[in-house]
Amino acid sequence: MPFMQSFNRRQFLQMAGLSSTLLLSGCGSDLFAGVVGQVTEPLNQRLDELLLNPQKPVPEMPISSIEPDKLIVNTFDFTPVIDPKLYRLTIDGEVNNPMQLGVKELYKLPLTSVVMRHVCVEGWAAIVQWGGVRLRDLIQLAQPKETVRYVYFQSADGYYESWDLRSCLHPQTLMAYQKNGEPLPIENGAPLRLAAPIKLGYKHSKWVTRIMLTSNLLPQRGYWEDRGYEWFAGL
Amino acid sequence: MTTDSPRFKPVLFPKQALLAKSFHWVNVVSLFIMLGSGLQIYNANPVFGGRQGIHLPPIFIGGWLAGGRDWHFGSMWIFSLNLLWYGVYILASRRWKHRFVGQPDLKALQVGKNPKRKAYSWHRIVYTAIVPVLLLAILSGIGMYKPAQFYWIVDLFGDWQALRIVHFMTVPIVVGFTIVHSLLALKVGGSRLLESMFW
Repeated sequence: MPFMQSFNRRQFLQMAGLSSTLLLSGCGSDLFAGVVGQVTEPLNQRLDELLLNPQKPVPEMPISSIEPDKLIVNTFDFTPVIDPKLYRLTIDGEVNNPMQLGVKELYKLPLTSVVMRHVCVEGWAAIVQWGGVRLRDLIQLAQPKETVRYVYFQSADGYYESWDLRSCLHPQTLMAYQKNGEPLPIENGAPLRLAAPIKLGYKHSKWVTRIMLTSNLLPQRGYWEDRGYEWFAGL
Repeated sequence: MTTDSPRFKPVLFPKQALLAKSFHWVNVVSLFIMLGSGLQIYNANPVFGGRQGIHLPPIFIGGWLAGGRDWHFGSMWIFSLNLLWYGVYILASRRWKHRFVGQPDLKALQVGKNPKRKAYSWHRIVYTAIVPVLLLAILSGIGMYKPAQFYWIVDLFGDWQALRIVHFMTVPIVVGFTIVHSLLALKVGGSRLLESMFW
């Protein structure tokens, strides 16, 4: 049947997604929000990608401008307490050199400090100092294959995120273990969390246990993204 | 019966350029969506007082924060591109020379005796003044949307909170403007002027 031929699997899934959005949403404007997002978000994401120069650092702020009280702790579920001695960061996926790193090995890598504005999707912002390992150094160690375009982050609390590779290679994208000059507090993601001035706060996974490099985006793109938030979320 | 009275006076109906009318329509609708979805975003973390601050009743566009953002960052294109082409239009058509507030309006207010002319001056002052407010809403909005890329906009306003306040304040200003602008238009040209702007 010509209808079935022209109607491929992807279109079917899109339709299914669309209709489930329509069915699940209660009120009128909510009903259209998913559709509006599906129409405009690809355009806005292209703008995000155009604006991002992965080589260009965002101007840093003076240490004196740090706002320790303004950083609100947001967690989607619970706060995992991790024994630093037992902690291992796994880096795997499409890499030539998959690895596991302990806290001591991470501390031996070059330390980078960034004083930046942490911007939450809710509208508040706080100037924070984060110190840690550049994500691009870790990615280099793992030797990604040519085809890698995306990076997944898995957290001890079940939170998951995915980033575009270009944003991960930005010089201020850190796997941080320091906050405002002190060891990273547990509620802020100890022993290791993502931190970067170029993306919204919900992209910054805390308690990261696994970094997985992939060529393609998987059906699951991130905890909040799968619930309707923007995936690129560039600042 | 007076309808077929021989002493019929021809009435001059005000007319607006089609491009001006279409700008006005798109502006009204897109601005309404910007406001409705903006207040939805506002409720995630009120500008004044944060989470403990005053929340607005949840009657806004989008249903929740992510939906509000979808609407806001979708209609921002329509709103700002409409304003941009209107800017090009008033420059190209030279409307800027005679359609906005100028020296004669100020003179009429200072030394004039004609109350109708004075009301007209106020009308022109008010609708001219909303243009920089709309531009300010866009500028402060870009600063909040992409603060890392446009860090200089945040610096221009001082800090993040100042930027948020300025962006938010454009909401009550626009609401107030809508009321005053409608009343002044009624006073100046009656319902005929109002209708000429829409149909």
